[in-house]
Amino acid sequence: MTRRRAEGAGRLTRLALLTAIALTIFLIEAQLPALTTIPGIKLGLANIVTVYAVFTLGPRDALMILCARVFLGAVFSGQMTTLWYSAAGGLLSWCALCLLRKALDKRQLWLSSPVAGVCHNLGQLLAAAAMLGTWAVLAYLPYLVLAGLLAGLFTGVAAQTLIGRMEKLGR
Amino acid sequence: MSRNGKIILLVLLAAAGLSVAAVAARRGETDHPVARITWDGEVVEEIELDRVGRGYSFTLESQEGSNTISVEKGRIRVAQADCPDQVCVDQGWIADGTVPIVCLPHKLVIEIVGGGSAFDAAAG
Repeated sequence: MTRRRAEGAGRLTRLALLTAIALTIFLIEAQLPALTTIPGIKLGLANIVTVYAVFTLGPRDALMILCARVFLGAVFSGQMTTLWYSAAGGLLSWCALCLLRKALDKRQLWLSSPVAGVCHNLGQLLAAAAMLGTWAVLAYLPYLVLAGLLAGLFTGVAAQTLIGRMEKLGR
Repeated sequence: MSRNGKIILLVLLAAAGLSVAAVAARRGETDHPVARITWDGEVVEEIELDRVGRGYSFTLESQEGSNTISVEKGRIRVAQADCPDQVCVDQGWIADGTVPIVCLPHKLVIEIVGGGSAFDAAAG
């Protein structure tokens, strides 16, 4: 997955475009009704962009898109309290993606996404435990692991398809 | 599929298996349910749910907001909250230790612990 990295204005434009796409997906998904009564479970479709960015643009650019999306997403959805949970989850899943980036070959990078999904939910839960000052919330762990796996599988396959299509376009 | 891919797949399957096992293991009634209310990191109330006669409600208030908690024999819920997401209200009644009720914005957790003989001794 090597390719010439865009510099200067080209790179800035690409980052801005991907951030805008991720933010749009995030805000539309936030309007959908909750899937379950268990808090923190959702598809996380905006992570398709994160997976795509980590594998095609590299960890640094992906981190910038992720941070911008998490912050602006909290601002635009008006729920600043969720910022710390998404930030903790996002950073942990970004770490997982970066570690798996070299370990996986091109045909199987979708596998990194369920790992990232589980890490995201784990980070979120640890942030919640720290904020609430009790380990009682860890009762949610098995549910969140399963949800992270399934959601990650979905976004992973989507990201894999996206990367394949984009390569055919020669971009 | 490469070796790394297989390892990751195995780890994922193991995680899924363990989670299903954990969910299955946590189900089951507690014979002496005690609701422990943790608020901003401190236990503020422990209610022995099987000794509740008539149902009652009370309200916890802080500068962040308020939660009205309803208690009935054997179960507890958040009846009202002024947070934007209403996750705690939507969860409804809980009666066993499967999952606690959590109100993230107000830092409130209601969990049900199986108070065994140790609790009885402490309560006198």
